[in-house]
Amino acid sequence: MNYKLVFKSAILSGEIMLRNGAETYRVEDTINRILKTTNFQVIESFVTPTGIFATLDDPSIEMITYVKRVDKRTIHLSKVTLTNDVSRKYCTNQLTIEEAYEKLLEIKDKPAYSNLLVIIATGLAAGFFTIVFSGRFNDFIISTIIGSTLGLVDILFKKLNIYKFFYDIVGGCIIALVAILFTKFIHFGSNFDLIIIGSIMPLVPGVAFTNAIRDTIEGNLLSGISRGVEALIVAAAIATGVGVVLKLYYLLSGGGLL
Amino acid sequence: MIIQVVGAFFATLFFCIIFNISRKQLLFCGINGAIGWLVYLLTLNMNSIVLSTFLGALVVSIISHILSKIRKTPVTVYLIAGIIPLVPGAILYKAIYNIVIQDYDMSSFYGIQSIELACAIAVAIFLVASVTKSSRRTK
Repeated sequence: MNYKLVFKSAILSGEIMLRNGAETYRVEDTINRILKTTNFQVIESFVTPTGIFATLDDPSIEMITYVKRVDKRTIHLSKVTLTNDVSRKYCTNQLTIEEAYEKLLEIKDKPAYSNLLVIIATGLAAGFFTIVFSGRFNDFIISTIIGSTLGLVDILFKKLNIYKFFYDIVGGCIIALVAILFTKFIHFGSNFDLIIIGSIMPLVPGVAFTNAIRDTIEGNLLSGISRGVEALIVAAAIATGVGVVLKLYYLLSGGGLL
Repeated sequence: MIIQVVGAFFATLFFCIIFNISRKQLLFCGINGAIGWLVYLLTLNMNSIVLSTFLGALVVSIISHILSKIRKTPVTVYLIAGIIPLVPGAILYKAIYNIVIQDYDMSSFYGIQSIELACAIAVAIFLVASVTKSSRRTK
């Protein structure tokens, strides 16, 4: 058996999952399951949101240890699903390790939805959330415009390699600015609050929050805490962005116009 | 109310595109989000947002676990999608807004409420996950 390839596949699948928004315990579970197919004595993996550590040891081989730092994290859940599939198939002997490794490499380079589609989706998500919170049709249109702008800025910032937290602050500013522009100056939308609430939703750290809880339940306390802090900081950044613009407008308009 | 639930369906669906969930799952994720919001709205007249959010999140988690068993997909995919409408974005905004107009009583009220809501969602996910986990062990 090519145990080195098994080890490499395990690390690769762990890396793909961690990079694309899987919970930490799921990553550990996947790595362990793949490593277990070697039937070696010592199988250990430790995963945090920023890195993977794994060890394989047996009397018959030299001990292998691997440390993989994972710095950039995005959310691409279909990659998580696909990797899960491959590891499930490999562990039930439906795939050989060579095929599995091949498939993992394919998944790693799998393209996301196109930029244009993401921009439109962000817009419509914001728009429909305004409807969910009982907004009117005019509000829907404005939120869609704001959301699309957010999607555009997000893609731009990712290309320029700007910190995620800065995007959240800028995003908050954009939401408040455009909402004020439309409702107070153009007098198009009727409900200022609902537009902002709907448009905030694409920024709200839902994934970090859900994963923080699920990691904590599974006993991965370190990951739970770090993801929880991530969610908190994102929330604070959005609040800062929206708050600063609102405050400025409040002061400039003499306090009466909000 | 129907409009709101349909809105929740589409909002969740488009959210899934942002998260790059594969095409096959989009419909299920959307339905999950809509059902969560429906439960939230139906229980809202019991006069407690926290309880409604809890129940909504509970139903969403149960559905997510069932879906993930049937469709052999990680729970996260459905769970994240379904929870999104319930995440307290609106309350967070109200907390900020009240800081801006210097009504600190209201802002701390909403601030604490958003923490309560987050905890309610957390406990709901926690409960369902614990139950499914123990049933997995006993098999």
